Amino acid sequence: MRIVCPFCGERELGEFTYLGDAKPVRPAADAGEDAVFDYVYLRDNIAGVMNENWYHGGGCRAWLKVTRNTLTHEISAVEPAPGAGAAKVDA
Amino acid sequence: MAEFSWDIRSPLDRALVSGAYGARGDAGVLLTEIRNFDLVQVMARRGKAADMAKAAKGRFGVAAPETPKAVTTADATLIWSGPDQFFVLSQGGKHGTGALAPAFAASTSLSDQSHARVLISASGAKARAMLAKLSSIDLHPDTFAVGTAAPTSMDHTSVTIWRGNDRVDGQAVFNVLVFATFAESLWHTMLDSAAEYGVNIRHSEELT
Repeated sequence: MRIVCPFCGERELGEFTYLGDAKPVRPAADAGEDAVFDYVYLRDNIAGVMNENWYHGGGCRAWLKVTRNTLTHEISAVEPAPGAGAAKVDA
Repeated sequence: MAEFSWDIRSPLDRALVSGAYGARGDAGVLLTEIRNFDLVQVMARRGKAADMAKAAKGRFGVAAPETPKAVTTADATLIWSGPDQFFVLSQGGKHGTGALAPAFAASTSLSDQSHARVLISASGAKARAMLAKLSSIDLHPDTFAVGTAAPTSMDHTSVTIWRGNDRVDGQAVFNVLVFATFAESLWHTMLDSAAEYGVNIRHSEELT
């Protein structure tokens, strides 16, 4: 599998680290125990297209949001993860 | 009080033995460790990338690279190292952190990496073949032209590689920056990779 980093270009899988589902969002401080439990422990296990966080640690050290089909490994989009620090360059 | 000796020594001081190595005959690879350089990591603070770009243009007279490139000025090389960050490679203190601070202090964090990295230059007819064994980057001249740079991994070790200007004999030159503590390991790996082509090893005080 190869991932086209929006900053570095196409790189092999070994340069990246998988974090997991990009969907969970940290709940508000007063959201309650159930919301925090969901955020920390519960993950969907999607057979199909999902958004994932990947870290390009062997390259530019940017966090990326990768849209990948878990059945085919087809990657349809890669973009800088929101809040990861760097502004998106024109790819 | 204990006496300390702060002699600056290359991390390759012991590993690097000048001379011929590997297959006999004309050396296919020339490996040179460049010593005594100034290296500053320049990183934009959050939301300050445009200000950093302006400061770089004012300081160096050229735009700092915003894509994986190395830009050469009269006395410095600006090497892209990731989004909103680049290295300044130079010699003689003209572009050390102290010299750069006035231009960049408002927008940018500067970090002196002069003794935290080892700089290895590889050239010769088989340099590309030797590096191709260690790198997943396509080093073909059509793809990795003069001035192309890449932060990547070699033998599971983080490196920044860029193609410098060709030698006078037309041979390509590849420059590799590696963390000091990993330098000896990568150096031995390079030697093993290059041995079949014959290697000429040396170190130099001059940026080429």
